[in-house]
Amino acid sequence: MQAATMDPVEEPPSILWGLDPIFSAFARLYVRDILQMTESTQVPGIYFYKSHPIYKVDVLGTVVYKREREDFFCYGVDDGTGVINCLCWKNDLLKEEEDPGKSTGKHSDVSYGNFNPVAELKKLKQAQQKRCRLEIGEVLRVRGPVKTSRQQREIMASTYYKVNDPVMTAQIAWMMEVPQLYRECYDKPLQLQCSATGDSAVSTLSKAVNIIKDFFKQRSVTKFRPYDIQDLLQPLIYSQAQTASEDQEPVAGPSSCQQLRQLLKKVLDILQDEGVIYRKVKSQDEVYHVTAQDKDLLLVVKDIIREDSKREKYAEKGCHILHILSAARQRHSLNISKAALEQVLKFLECSSDIVSTSDTHYTMF
Amino acid sequence: MLPAAAVFHFPWEINSGVVQDGASVRTFGRLVSYQPEESRATLSAQHASKEHNVIIRTMFVEPFNPIIGAQYIVLGETENAEEVGVMVLARVLNCVDGVNIALLQKAINEQRSFFKERECKQGDVAWPESAT
Repeated sequence: MQAATMDPVEEPPSILWGLDPIFSAFARLYVRDILQMTESTQVPGIYFYKSHPIYKVDVLGTVVYKREREDFFCYGVDDGTGVINCLCWKNDLLKEEEDPGKSTGKHSDVSYGNFNPVAELKKLKQAQQKRCRLEIGEVLRVRGPVKTSRQQREIMASTYYKVNDPVMTAQIAWMMEVPQLYRECYDKPLQLQCSATGDSAVSTLSKAVNIIKDFFKQRSVTKFRPYDIQDLLQPLIYSQAQTASEDQEPVAGPSSCQQLRQLLKKVLDILQDEGVIYRKVKSQDEVYHVTAQDKDLLLVVKDIIREDSKREKYAEKGCHILHILSAARQRHSLNISKAALEQVLKFLECSSDIVSTSDTHYTMF
Repeated sequence: MLPAAAVFHFPWEINSGVVQDGASVRTFGRLVSYQPEESRATLSAQHASKEHNVIIRTMFVEPFNPIIGAQYIVLGETENAEEVGVMVLARVLNCVDGVNIALLQKAINEQRSFFKERECKQGDVAWPESAT
């Protein structure tokens, strides 16, 4: 029933699998394709439809075979292209139901008006049980990982339920949708070129920016000097040098130390443009403040909004961002950029200190 | 053991010789008659201004509630009987009265054209195709 395993050379390297969105989705494949997918030679339990790594699927079909065991049901599901076994574990609910002695508990029926929560819960449980127990000819929806046991493909249901489909709406919708999914997703090869082998200089820079931002967050940095964070970027320069030397002989260029300083300067420029950091005083001593961690600045901005929203001029709409900016520049530092102020306002709004009344006005209650 | 996959066929294809003897099929039609003593039902559908009948052997799905005039879906194996032609030995017989038959036909065609398209693209390599 299974096709021969794919040539390992054709298999995309496992490191790239996670980048394929289909990998982390429940793929709505035809049962025939699930049965014929090739299993990965690198990692058993992962399958390939075309070049897409797949391990969990989503299937809707008619039950044509059923077997019940103590702990699980085994349903054969037929979607018109193939039949696959689905292993559906019984939950505790379903097992409980089998010894009826338990269910006649003496719950004192506390009723709230006509609404009896105990009875309602029981009804809900019964409804759930009904949806788990299927007969041949009924329609089943199953989601779960694909397994191969005793040379047979099967689906280990992570969720499954009976679909009430008296006029076939669900089945028809499924039949119409799946070919579209194939055309738009499953049959298209994954395009990774732009991100995987993109301009390495650009990606190094964005990596560096993220490293610094993460560092600020983890350590709650309030202020720093460039040489404090320089070492954090060191690994990036190394890896860059390594990849370069694999390709060609090292040519005379900027030393790694110079590269590091250049990279750091670019990172600081970006962070300043974004308003994540700012310099309170422009002097020889290069001190940067992390905007959202600057308690003084937060206080100043809060004060400005609190005081000025009381003024008649701003009472209705709140203060305009440019008004806050000029006031903050007067009171705190001339070097605050609009981007930095926006960071502060965002932070204050997240902690519910202030409220935005439009995208440029802020007030406080 | 699991049965073979029941591929959708239009009622007018069942008797046309497209379907191999013993193949698993599913089809639809209006129940026009049922003879419980013979375990035989007849589904009927109109196509190209002609009435097409499919004889169903119902012994495996009995007892069921026959609603004459209602739409049914049947799933089973074809069987060539000498006197009546092709019959379908039903494993599943569901009443789906109220189904949008036009939409169902569209969905079946949609699925078929998808598989046809795929076969064309893959040429001779590919997925062994059971008669669709």
